[in-house]
Amino acid sequence: MDVEKLNIKNLIFSKINRKLTLLFVIVGLVAPALAIYYFYTISISSVPEALYAKQAPLLRTVAIMIIILIAVNAGIIGFFVSRSISKPIKKLYNATHEVEKGNYNVRMDIKTHDEIEELAQAFNRTTAALGRLEEERKEIDSAKTEFLSITSHELRSPMTPMKAQLQMLEEEYFGKLKKKQKDSLGIIVRNADRLDNIIVDFLDISRIEAARLKFNFQQTDITQTVKDITKFMEAFAKEKNIELIVNADKLPIIEVDPDRLSQVLRNLINNAIKFSYENSKVEIAAELKKEYIIFSVRDYGCGLSPENQIRIFEPFYQVESATRRRHGGTGLGLAICRGIVESQNGKIWVESKPGRGCKFYFTVPLEPVRKIKPIKILFSHKGAIERKIREEFQSILGPLGVGEFNELKSKNALGRDDIFGYIDSLTEQYIIPPERGLDFKNRIERIYGFEKDIINEKEDIHHDNFGDEVIKRG
Amino acid sequence: MTKTILVVDDEPDIRQSVKTILEVNGYKVVTAVDGDDCLEKVREYKPDLILLDIMMPGTPVDDIVKQIRDIKIAFMSVVRISDARKRGLCTQENIVDFFQKPFNVTDLIDRVELILNE
Repeated sequence: MDVEKLNIKNLIFSKINRKLTLLFVIVGLVAPALAIYYFYTISISSVPEALYAKQAPLLRTVAIMIIILIAVNAGIIGFFVSRSISKPIKKLYNATHEVEKGNYNVRMDIKTHDEIEELAQAFNRTTAALGRLEEERKEIDSAKTEFLSITSHELRSPMTPMKAQLQMLEEEYFGKLKKKQKDSLGIIVRNADRLDNIIVDFLDISRIEAARLKFNFQQTDITQTVKDITKFMEAFAKEKNIELIVNADKLPIIEVDPDRLSQVLRNLINNAIKFSYENSKVEIAAELKKEYIIFSVRDYGCGLSPENQIRIFEPFYQVESATRRRHGGTGLGLAICRGIVESQNGKIWVESKPGRGCKFYFTVPLEPVRKIKPIKILFSHKGAIERKIREEFQSILGPLGVGEFNELKSKNALGRDDIFGYIDSLTEQYIIPPERGLDFKNRIERIYGFEKDIINEKEDIHHDNFGDEVIKRG
Repeated sequence: MTKTILVVDDEPDIRQSVKTILEVNGYKVVTAVDGDDCLEKVREYKPDLILLDIMMPGTPVDDIVKQIRDIKIAFMSVVRISDARKRGLCTQENIVDFFQKPFNVTDLIDRVELILNE
């Protein structure tokens, strides 16, 4: 801990030190000056003139010497006194920094027997309280994951007899069915399957969040795996007469979990087929980079608006409810894909322009990550974005910012375009100058991830399918 | 000759469902509610195949399985189990298959038939 490490130079020139020392020097100058003035005007006037004139130069020298000596002394004393005040304050400052970084175990040991000691004790109590809250937050978080895992299991067990009985009815184990009975049963079966899919997805999410997602690494021929997955998906593609084009040659054999890889790739291809128009194509590619393999799935469907491009990785976020009704699915697929990819230190993102289709990318490292970290999937991404936007509101608009932010939030108007409209209204009314508005916009853009990805900066991976304005995100 | 299948599961509805499926397809079905009951029924009925739930209260399934060496066993599990784990579970020669719950009825029948005709 670097609370103890104090920079001497900073100490000497610290503001409080300077102020206090100066005060002592002034007192040291004024006090003897007053004393000597009193000595001259009152005491000396009673002394005979001749004697005074004779002794005057000596007296003056002595007086000046006394003033200087007292001033110097006062300065030195002042320095040490002020240091005794500023040192614990500096310590407190450093400790506050530690707390800011999330270290709630910092405790101050200041024994100055004054208000500063009291302040330090109050600080200690506050940090202890923060520590307890943090502990509680962690417990609640793991309880959430645990709850999710247990309920999913409990929800899944009744599915077994339910689905079995339904299938028996459907297979006419108990006698022939009329058409209307069959139709009704069909609806029940379809929805039971959908419910079961959601439960399975929840189980996956609880595993990802608790870092219990199992990866079964084995030497895998990536080219072959991609081809196998594509072949598997061809049946779905045929229904809409969509051509699947694979470009995944000359890839190495690496250690991955082929089941997880295929889970992600299948999900992306499935989405691509879902959102493609009939008689179009879906391109699947995999390419070797320095430290990873980059996979991509490109469709020529309706594309995504910039805001949807980032929100699409949130759980249960589907672009609009109408498409959900048309396309089915649990709304958890991409969130799970993100969890799986990030568990392996990979990245997943999408490039798109509305009306011109989407291209999903994800990366898989050449070396598997054996130590799995917990990844937050539920209630995380959106929260982080909102927090950042709030901070920007505060930094640009000052104390007013929070209120404005809350108002926009209550109107559910925190999308990129909503905020841009709001900033425009601010500049039009001259509440903030145009340059500041532009700066504000840039900051919001950055939060919504319009910056180029780090990966993209290193190596050029986009093939410019969307014209000049390619938007990227992680 | 009619083959006998022992269905072991602690959930009555699952026992009932599997029993019906197998009986309709011409098998004789006996059920047991836990591991110990399973051992008793094995002695009594000498089944050709045991469908055994992998997670049940009472004596652990691992211990039960060790005591049955000459009858084919197929596990059933609601927990998704990776292929690696499956290989680990199938150490004994008489463990022949693994059913993921919820199962598909047609798939269950096909695989049971395959196991019993081997």
